[in-house]
Amino acid sequence: MKSSGEKLKKFQEILKKRGIGAFVVMDLASAVYLSDYRFKAQGDAYLLITPSRAFCFTKELYAITLRRAAPFLECINSLNPSDIVAKVKELKIKSAAFDPGLIEYLPGNMFKAAGFKELSGLISAAREVKLPDETAKIRKACHISAKAYEIFRKKLKTGMTEIAAARMLEDIMYSLGATGIAFETIMAFGPDGANPHHESGERKLKAEDAVLMDYGCSYHGYCSDITRTFWHGKKPSAEFKRIFKIVKAAHDLGIKSARAAMTGGALDAVCRGYMGSLAKHFIHSTGHGLGVQIHEPPWIRANSLSNLGCGSIFTIEPGIYFEGKLGIRWENTVLLTKRGAEILTK
Amino acid sequence: MQKIDNSKIAALKNILKKNELDGCIITDVNDLKYFIGSVFLHNGEAVMLASSNGFFLTARSLYEAPVSAAFPQIKTEGCDGDRPAKIVETARKMGLGNIAFDGGKEIYSAGKIYEKAGFKDIPGIIGSLRIAKTEDELEIMRSSAGILYGAFKYIRQFLKPGVSESQIARLLEDYMLKKGASGPSFPTIVAFGEGTSSPHYKTGEVKLKKNMPVMLDFGCYYEGYCSDITRTFWYGDKPAPKEFAEILKTVCEAHALVAARAKYGMSGAEIDAIARGHIEAAGFGKYFTHRTGHGIGLEPHESGDISQLNKEKIGLNYCFSVEPGIYLSGKFGARWEDCFYMTKNGIKIIE
Repeated sequence: MKSSGEKLKKFQEILKKRGIGAFVVMDLASAVYLSDYRFKAQGDAYLLITPSRAFCFTKELYAITLRRAAPFLECINSLNPSDIVAKVKELKIKSAAFDPGLIEYLPGNMFKAAGFKELSGLISAAREVKLPDETAKIRKACHISAKAYEIFRKKLKTGMTEIAAARMLEDIMYSLGATGIAFETIMAFGPDGANPHHESGERKLKAEDAVLMDYGCSYHGYCSDITRTFWHGKKPSAEFKRIFKIVKAAHDLGIKSARAAMTGGALDAVCRGYMGSLAKHFIHSTGHGLGVQIHEPPWIRANSLSNLGCGSIFTIEPGIYFEGKLGIRWENTVLLTKRGAEILTK
Repeated sequence: MQKIDNSKIAALKNILKKNELDGCIITDVNDLKYFIGSVFLHNGEAVMLASSNGFFLTARSLYEAPVSAAFPQIKTEGCDGDRPAKIVETARKMGLGNIAFDGGKEIYSAGKIYEKAGFKDIPGIIGSLRIAKTEDELEIMRSSAGILYGAFKYIRQFLKPGVSESQIARLLEDYMLKKGASGPSFPTIVAFGEGTSSPHYKTGEVKLKKNMPVMLDFGCYYEGYCSDITRTFWYGDKPAPKEFAEILKTVCEAHALVAARAKYGMSGAEIDAIARGHIEAAGFGKYFTHRTGHGIGLEPHESGDISQLNKEKIGLNYCFSVEPGIYLSGKFGARWEDCFYMTKNGIKIIE
């Protein structure tokens, strides 16, 4: 697919406004985001972005494809950071910068020695607010995963293993048009749900059992994320019913309360606060942004002081876990608009 | 309670002693996996200080309870803020002074914190531990490889005219999962026809016809450890074109020569030369466009390459692939691959 280069243009505008002569990108996710080309592994490509040009340091193998897929990139056949420094010198750029949280230690030292400035958060701020094309892809990925839940419920049978059920769920998403899986599907039966990062295993579904599934697909490089917890059978335990109600209500309150310009920390506090003393069993953050990566800013967690942007996309996923017994989580991916949070996983 | 492999701890203590260190910082998600298995998903979620006084871990709060329950011998603290700063503080409290980190595995901001705390940058310190496998690791790697040999036998029945590359890839992956793999260790390559001439072919929708070359390159994760094999063959009722038969024969011979002649004490470059020399002698040297092999273990590609660039000795229990290939652009290609480990008496296949 040929890229429009829209995201790069948006980032170059930011550089122009901030008076930054060049910005170095070495992490995979940011390189994929800015180039709109899906490099496979960390170290496949590095970018040097100026307000008017974009250089891609990569292997010849990629350069051939990029000339077609992303013609706005000027490819340089090298992956040596010293060639990035050399390019900055050649262009006589004074104010080059890099993000100390996204560049590795060794090349970072090299850039620092060459006089580059440390500048945090520039890329993540750009990535946080999605462009219309990005939103459309995430919307599609979200729709596929929500639809898959309905089909899956009809096909799930007592006796299936977690691995088999996870595979079935992924198959359904592919059949609905997913182009990939966003992360390893978490399929947890019974007490396995109590581990938020459970690895699907050989446990078999009982006739009366709790099911927690946390999954998502990707659609042309963009992710979705959704969690559903439900009772398989007819007689949910009293505890399941009681905890489910609280988690679902905390989730609904989070959706209703989300506003642009609210901090991630405040939204986290809304969901956590609702749980009262049960909040000590809510052992993870309320949510995370997603896009080209399944976890990216904004962060909906206690220490997050940055404001949620209009047009940002993130999850709201409160959960309560009783170790070795039961876990319940309810999650949707939402788009933040002027009017509040719109659920995309529907 | 889960145990940490004693031979891994012994190896760690050895390295600390050799470098006169009190401890070292472990950040990389695969380096952490080496000691405590698959717990963390991403780099940066946790930092461990492995010291002569024991293990100290700082991780996202979410992990505190499960890690403490599984590994009570590791002192685990939840921290959702600056984990590198937190572990520096722990080191200070414990009175540990000489600490190393691997600058090649740190983010700039974290590396700076360690540097300021007076920690020493020792490149490859944990990587050097992981390269020689323990007996337990080898056993898991044998099981991981075993799944692939089974898969290759299993898949032949499905190779019929009309089946697509992606269907075969899916069947291979389903089989691996059924045999206990947790997933493919890299995107499964199934190439029919001209696709075989690309070393990194992306499996597509090409349908199998009679009298076509077929290349299958696949691997899986089994209990965290990777495996990797490639098979190339001619599918059809007519004999293969002479040129295809010749390149296939040449890569198989190169592979067999490495298996027979690679000896303990040789460098990666010397082993690479065995395969490369044979392919060059057959006149296909310039079509062998990659290294002979790569290290393998917790990651599908690890250090310890069998390449012209690796002048280091391949030590005992190093695990690596041997995968000579010849690619005739626009026509077809052939590659033959198995994974091996080094013993005192030469290399042995992992199966």
